[in-house]
Amino acid sequence: MTLRMKLSLACTAVFFAIIICTGCVQTEDSEEKVLRVALTTGPDTGGSLDPSISWEGWPMRRTGIYETLFSYDENMNLQPELATGYKQLNDTEWEIQLRRNVTFHDGTIMEADAVISSINRILDPSNSRSSEYSFIKNVYKTDDYTIVVETNESYAPTIFMFTDTIMSIVSPNAENLDTEPVGTGPYRFVSFEPGASIELVKNPDYWGEAPKIDRIIIQYSKDAAARTLLLKSGDVDITRDVLQSEYATLEADPDTNIVSKETLRTYFMYINEGKAPFDDVRVRQSLNYAIDRQEIVDTALEGVAGSPAVGIFPDIMPWNANDKIEAYEYNPEKALELFAEAGITQGSDGRLYYNGKPFTVEIQTYTKQSVHQPMAEVIAAQFEKIGITTIIKIAETNSISSDAAAGKYDLALYSWGVAPVGDPDYFMYSHFLSTGTYASTWLRYSNPQVDEWILEARAETDEEKRAELYDMIQEQVQNDAVLVCIAYKKEIDGLSPISRVLRFIQTNTRSLQRKWNLPEELKNERQNYRTLE
Amino acid sequence: MLKEYFIRRALYLLPVLIFISFMSFSLIYIAPGDPAEIMMTSPSGGYDEAAVEAFRIAHGLDQPFYIQYLNWLKHAAVGDFGYSYMSEQSVFETVLDAFRNTLTLSVLALAIALVIAIPLGVVSALKRNTVVDDACRFGALLGVSMPNFLQAYLMIILFSVIIHWLPASGFGHGTDISYMILPAIVLGTGSAAIMMRMIRSSMLDVMGKEYIQTARGKGMSEKIVIIRHALKNALVPVITVIGLSIGFLLNGSVVVETIFGWSGIGNLVVNSILSHDYMMVQGSVLFVAIIFLLINFFVDIVYVWANPEIRYDRNS
Repeated sequence: MTLRMKLSLACTAVFFAIIICTGCVQTEDSEEKVLRVALTTGPDTGGSLDPSISWEGWPMRRTGIYETLFSYDENMNLQPELATGYKQLNDTEWEIQLRRNVTFHDGTIMEADAVISSINRILDPSNSRSSEYSFIKNVYKTDDYTIVVETNESYAPTIFMFTDTIMSIVSPNAENLDTEPVGTGPYRFVSFEPGASIELVKNPDYWGEAPKIDRIIIQYSKDAAARTLLLKSGDVDITRDVLQSEYATLEADPDTNIVSKETLRTYFMYINEGKAPFDDVRVRQSLNYAIDRQEIVDTALEGVAGSPAVGIFPDIMPWNANDKIEAYEYNPEKALELFAEAGITQGSDGRLYYNGKPFTVEIQTYTKQSVHQPMAEVIAAQFEKIGITTIIKIAETNSISSDAAAGKYDLALYSWGVAPVGDPDYFMYSHFLSTGTYASTWLRYSNPQVDEWILEARAETDEEKRAELYDMIQEQVQNDAVLVCIAYKKEIDGLSPISRVLRFIQTNTRSLQRKWNLPEELKNERQNYRTLE
Repeated sequence: MLKEYFIRRALYLLPVLIFISFMSFSLIYIAPGDPAEIMMTSPSGGYDEAAVEAFRIAHGLDQPFYIQYLNWLKHAAVGDFGYSYMSEQSVFETVLDAFRNTLTLSVLALAIALVIAIPLGVVSALKRNTVVDDACRFGALLGVSMPNFLQAYLMIILFSVIIHWLPASGFGHGTDISYMILPAIVLGTGSAAIMMRMIRSSMLDVMGKEYIQTARGKGMSEKIVIIRHALKNALVPVITVIGLSIGFLLNGSVVVETIFGWSGIGNLVVNSILSHDYMMVQGSVLFVAIIFLLINFFVDIVYVWANPEIRYDRNS
């Protein structure tokens, strides 16, 4: 074959390719209502779709394939899902009634045995997260639609723990949950491309309100700019996690809608109490007074990606005590006063000195959450303003974590989803109980009174009494200035023009938004749509 | 002679492979922090100590480093790269699937690169120092200097956002060519620029050679002289560049695959690193290193085979 022939063949191939692809882009859409969504992360590397493996349940929940016994509505109220209700029989036994007439996507009927075998997958010691459920002694059925969960001790969060996506109820007859998920949700699995996309089709036999979208294609894209371009080009109808810096341009664009909504993630700083002078409560309070939270939100978060924090729990978390505890207002004079009392004094150059040396604070943080670094920079500037010499150290989380365990850090800027199952015990137990993982190794915080309350609250099943205890804990840790709470994260989502968004709103939004994340704007638009009908 | 060279060259691969395996295994351990703790840290932020301890024991992370390495090497030698810490799936199968997708994209990218580079390189050399040559060289300079990500975004804005010809990013099912065009062009033009410059200088070099004059003197048509005599010989040094390009393409462009959401090996490596999936990182790094070595190996062989003038005998 001569070179010319080869060349012309190659050219033909390329032209042919272009012709094919322009053709297939144009022949889109018929009667079928298709929703396209861009999310940041899908099931993890290796791409198992089994919700019982580590945290795969989170992305699987967003597909609408799986459901849990209980879940939350958009106002964070606990609601029955595959259960219809529960009853506490005594201190250690909880009876859960199961929903009738629910079938899995493979036709299997969902009843007590299926639910128990599903739960036992997590309790099995070989499951990497089984220890989180070690409070469960036994799960048994009393009839085909009633199960009883028996705990080792009185454990108040028991029911909440069943909202965790790892507790997704899977079909006992599924052949390979890694590759072929079989659940009860409004959407059924069609296909999956690891790291790229997942395709779903509506479940005509869904037990709840019939899903109104025929097909959903979720595309995963780690690149924030690419996600925005997908929305602008019309390739997707919804994109999650838009950069805050793009908020203004997208808002001005008549072809896109943009919403910013509350999440359960809080930005805060750990303080190393094991190291002088941070062992002095006045120093920790000073650090809290020295930062202007509103300025941080307005600059690092561009005013749209968060709101100033009071305590550790965001306002949408029902257990928060933000209106009962005293917020640390921005007050540099007070900060300097408290510093002086603690022996950190201003030198003639206006800088702060501790033990004759410049008072130096190192803030460690990581960049997996993109706003951490700009946030740390604003905080450093605010510290510098009152004379604290501030160093920012960007590191990997594992490096910060090993520094923290060794007690070699001053401050660490982190962010946490503070209540993965909606229960306050998770964060309180790990951070404020003196033997808790983070209290003992990171914060080195110990307050016997707080310890007592936390253990009491964990066992207290009367919700009102429990809430009172958590209010007291939140007030005490606020006074002890254990953390520097900075801001509550807001997530920014982009939506395509109203005509296409309507298709999204018609559906069971729960399948796409993680339980409590439905934005207010969408709810309003849903009403608009109803009146249009 | 070629056979001997082949064997000797193949034997060199072995120590390199062992070195690479050691590096890819130990890099992860040089990084600070406790793998078990990192693996068991939930996306919301925390970890459960009992779970961390159980994980450590289950995955043999409580054993000394060299035992862990030897165990891993023993299995890797027979193609068993272990199981992903995150999803408990076979590393080798996952890597292979991702590699297949990268291969598809690479073939297209290479075709685009060759289609652009060869004619432009030849024309540029023949029309040396004319407007055509300047234009080609400017284009090549642009292609070499423009970062992939910038070109990717510009192409998406043009072809997807403005004229709506192609999807902005995505994978389709790996068979829909409309999703491949943009990433393949971005990958292809980068390689094309380097190849074009190589072909141009190589052609210029060859065109000055005596045998070209001889061929012309024999009264051969200029076309035949250029294609059969000049280009054929000019392409020999280009083989190395093409080989290297294939190596780079096959190892997946991290940037391009991330922007376009392509389910290839670059994307896999990034995802594994971000989620600290140690087994997956080790497995895929070793895999891409082996591919790179093999490509280089074959390039060397082809080089010798294509140009009998080159001998790698120790005696010569």
